[in-house]
Amino acid sequence: MVDKTVRQIWGMGLTRRGALMTAAGWASLSLVTRSHADDEVDDVVKQLIGRSAIESDRIRLSMPRVFPNGYTVPLALQVDSPMTSADHVKQVHVLAPRNPIVEVATFHFVPERSRPQVSTRIRLAVPQFVVAVAAMNDDALLMAKTWVEVATNGCS
Amino acid sequence: MVTPVPRIQAPGAAAKGEVFQVKAIISHPMETGLRHDEQGTPIPRVIINTFRCRYNDEVVFSVELHEAVAANPYLEFYLRATQTGRLEFVWEEDGGGLYTLSHDITVS
Repeated sequence: MVDKTVRQIWGMGLTRRGALMTAAGWASLSLVTRSHADDEVDDVVKQLIGRSAIESDRIRLSMPRVFPNGYTVPLALQVDSPMTSADHVKQVHVLAPRNPIVEVATFHFVPERSRPQVSTRIRLAVPQFVVAVAAMNDDALLMAKTWVEVATNGCS
Repeated sequence: MVTPVPRIQAPGAAAKGEVFQVKAIISHPMETGLRHDEQGTPIPRVIINTFRCRYNDEVVFSVELHEAVAANPYLEFYLRATQTGRLEFVWEEDGGGLYTLSHDITVS
């Protein structure tokens, strides 16, 4: 009986996440959209950078958790790196997966010459994870993401 | 469009090996190309798409900017003082416009 119901649900084209979401109900909706955003982040990184990045505490992305307007949201990022020719950050990509145009900026650093730390201000259309991916000289991809709530659309 | 005005804040002197902060800003609308005017005509994209900093002719820091960088793009970054010389800053706009500034630094 249960089996049949389950089969019917899958038969209706519901995904596992969809079924779970229905079961969990509205109370946890924001949680579910966030976990959906997690998958979105992975997809976007693979699509734009070519492969998955590993979340690492060597890269820190600091942004306000809540910001009134999406037109000028402060962003600061920093990567722990000795910046020697043997061990350095080549570039850091910043992505906003729920903006109409996902790529935000790419910062290029030079070993012995610049420190992998930068601050700027960006536009966000809707609440979302902002993602920073550092490409290291040994081809490792290190990632950090932070959830930012904006009240007004900064991209319109 | 009003002519963009670039500005730089950086120290005039530093000790050899010291890491110093540079603040760079340019007045610019960063028109995304996603907006329409009152007649519904799309407003073409005009953004600063590249920023480059050279230190005695060597590129030491650069940025590719996309539509989501806020108007009047502001950048704060850090360089190592290696020798006395000149920092040159270039902002490149869609369509090939270039805005430049230079800043001399004495390293002891």
